[in-house]
Amino acid sequence: MDAQQVAQVTEMMYALRNPAGIPTFPIIFIGLGVLTFALHILFVQLMLGTSAITLYGAFNNNAYWRRLGAAMLEIAKVSVSVAIVVGVAPLLFVQVVYDPHWYTSNVLSADWVIAFIVILILAYWAMYYYYFQNGKNQDKTVQPKSRWSMITSLILMLVVGFIMHSLTSQILHPELWKEWYMQNGKLDYSGTQLHAYNIWRYAFFISMAIPVTGAMLVTYRRFKSVREDADHDYLNWAAEVGKKWIKVGSVISTVLYVAWMATLPETAGNFATSVWGILGGVAVIGYALWAQLRLKGEARFCSYMALPMALVIGLVVAISREMLRYDILNGFFNYNFMDYKIVMDWYSTGLFFLTFAIVGGVVLSYFLTIAWKSGQTVGVYTPGATVNKLGTLSIWIVALWIVQFFVVGFYVWAQ
Amino acid sequence: MDLISLYPTWYEPTVGSGWVVALIATFHVLASHTSVGAAMLFAYLSHKAYREDREDLLDFVKKYGLFLLVFTYVAGSITGPGIWYSTTVASPNGIGALIHSFVWKWATEWVFFVIEVVGVYMIVYLVGRVDKRTHMKISVIFGMASLATMLIIVGILSFMMVPGKEQWFADGGYLNGFYGTNTFAQLGMRMAFMFTMTAVVGGIVIAGIKDPAFKKEMARKLGWLGIISTLIGASMFQWYLTSVPDQALLVMENRLPDYFQSSIMIVLAGTLAYFIITMLRPQMIVQGFAGAMTIIILVAGLWPEETARESMRKPWVAGQYVYSNQVIGKDVPGMDIKSQLPTIEKVGILQAHPFTPDHLKEVNDGNKIQAGEFIAMTYCSNCHSPSETGIRPLHRYFPEGVSQERVAQYVKGVLTTGNIAYMPKMPMLDSEAEALAAYLVLNNDGGQAAVTAAIDTEIEQRERALAEQKAQDTVAAVDLQEGK
Repeated sequence: MDAQQVAQVTEMMYALRNPAGIPTFPIIFIGLGVLTFALHILFVQLMLGTSAITLYGAFNNNAYWRRLGAAMLEIAKVSVSVAIVVGVAPLLFVQVVYDPHWYTSNVLSADWVIAFIVILILAYWAMYYYYFQNGKNQDKTVQPKSRWSMITSLILMLVVGFIMHSLTSQILHPELWKEWYMQNGKLDYSGTQLHAYNIWRYAFFISMAIPVTGAMLVTYRRFKSVREDADHDYLNWAAEVGKKWIKVGSVISTVLYVAWMATLPETAGNFATSVWGILGGVAVIGYALWAQLRLKGEARFCSYMALPMALVIGLVVAISREMLRYDILNGFFNYNFMDYKIVMDWYSTGLFFLTFAIVGGVVLSYFLTIAWKSGQTVGVYTPGATVNKLGTLSIWIVALWIVQFFVVGFYVWAQ
Repeated sequence: MDLISLYPTWYEPTVGSGWVVALIATFHVLASHTSVGAAMLFAYLSHKAYREDREDLLDFVKKYGLFLLVFTYVAGSITGPGIWYSTTVASPNGIGALIHSFVWKWATEWVFFVIEVVGVYMIVYLVGRVDKRTHMKISVIFGMASLATMLIIVGILSFMMVPGKEQWFADGGYLNGFYGTNTFAQLGMRMAFMFTMTAVVGGIVIAGIKDPAFKKEMARKLGWLGIISTLIGASMFQWYLTSVPDQALLVMENRLPDYFQSSIMIVLAGTLAYFIITMLRPQMIVQGFAGAMTIIILVAGLWPEETARESMRKPWVAGQYVYSNQVIGKDVPGMDIKSQLPTIEKVGILQAHPFTPDHLKEVNDGNKIQAGEFIAMTYCSNCHSPSETGIRPLHRYFPEGVSQERVAQYVKGVLTTGNIAYMPKMPMLDSEAEALAAYLVLNNDGGQAAVTAAIDTEIEQRERALAEQKAQDTVAAVDLQEGK
């Protein structure tokens, strides 16, 4: 591409920006986008990995694998929900600062964007169907019924992952958008095609399901081992599988990461050998080293550290991913997300952060404490005074939030 | 720079992009409203279970919760972002206008959404595993958090019809855009409706209750909930109508079908009758009947309301400043937003559109139909499908055999000047109006097949001309080399 072509592409991207601007500094949206993406992809990987274990357990006669498959199905169900709900946040933030790119990419593959919704619902329902067929089995070692539905679920999950991968890949090719809009000399309004993908990038993110799920198995052992009815032989076996998965999986993922870096488009310049490019790969292989050093023997404390460590690794990769986007769009095309028009709105900015910290912080602390404690209790869990007070406080905080909504609203309305 | 913020167009020939959005949105409203209403019902029932030490109420909450988890939370949580997805591809500037003004509000809703999702799992799976008092607390938090999601989204939805306060146009500001009469009227209407839906969907769970006395008790509880909320909802709808712009009422009177009012009344009467019958004879509530009534009542009740709201805000799609065809048609000084109409009037829609292919930037005899199609897709296809089927098909608006001159006259006299109340003003150069007219007539007379054939011919001629030009250039270059 010559300088004039690049200038035309840049002009187009700037023209597509929303004239309403954004209500606070763009870097905040980018930061939150990266953070929430790291959380989202962690649960996506958990959902894929635990689904794979469920399936492996369903086709394996070994009693431990059967039990583990049934246990991981519970985590898979919750992981899908959490992946979806957490995924809303990066989806929101990407269309604030990268709206020219996200919207164009989506419109050009509109049928797939719509299909994404339908396929994901079917994948989720297929998983629930498998659960309803087998969830009530008291004996978790019997051969499960309707294994086809779990296979279907996993395949469909991989398909929606690929659609999302393709949409985000298309963002990185503004130089091809007009070309994609024309097919065989004619304008193509159908949105029937996915135009870009990098199979190594896709495989890398999917492969991270192996070490992340390994971390879940290690955590599972630690969590369940304190229960009075714990089967330590089974749990230790599960943790050993998990440790192996972290180490082997991280190596596989690192190889795929290198392959991704080796196949970046020319517009990425020297990103693969830059600090950010290298850092992502080092973080992934670093996870294997960490597991080798810190998850020896019992390693009680570090068992709980396995998942937070997976999140840290994911966060480093998410930062590298964002830097790659910045490198292409800013470095090559001179599109700077930092110069987006700001129409500052302190009220809504402040309300979000206060709600996030206070309402989210207090209520989720209460919810997760209850979930955690009841999971470790045989029979009915009755919380102590402190946890009860946290519950009452949560009710008051949410009630106050609702009151402020109406007080501010009626005041503005009456003005 | 004369480019404006217009994206490529997605055109779905069978049902039209508008219907795709409507289907997903209706499904989402069905799922999400039921979830919010049920969350508040759970809070009440869990509280009652705690006070009166009753297991049967908690069992009902668990069963209803599991039903919701599978059918409304799964589908509702996916179709929620699904609405973003569908509007992104069908109306990128419409959803962009909302996102860019209310991103933090959505982010705030997301906090409650996370609480909701964690909460529903806890409500379902912790029955019998935590004490009743704790379950009651979880349910109350869950109910209030669900309500908060409704409170947040309703201001954004009402902005689609009209910004909360008139001074938003002059002063901007999130609060002026969010809060207003329309916001609260719509909130009242939706809250009432969500309880109606909760009562109707609850029938499916009631159908599974074995104990006749408990079945009767729950049928009565939900029956009263349904009757009261339906009546309140109907009066809220009347209030809502007083809070929309005059233009919207005008559109409603002129554009909605004659049977609209009467069908609303029938749905209302049918819903009330259903609740009364099930209260009097709870044994009638069996799974099939309750499921069928859920679909009938909810879809029949929801579809006209959502359709009316979508039609009434025309020609705008968001904030009374973004046209349904994605062009910004009005200055908003408070947000430093300028109308894009003057730019289009100056350079034409083809020059102003960032995605116009180079060979269509100017209309000529060799690209007229392609240019006309591009303009129709950009300006018309959001509301009028150029195909045989779909949303308000274009061919229905022109008589058979209409002349190109007559259509061009209509385009220049009516569309470019914005002389129809419910249609956007669509500026065009004369050459562009001629191209649009040529396309419309061809589409009207021969349909998509004729258009495709004409475009193929144009492309063929252009390629031939380019090949000839290339050959001539080669000959000229050789001549130059040989010194001729």
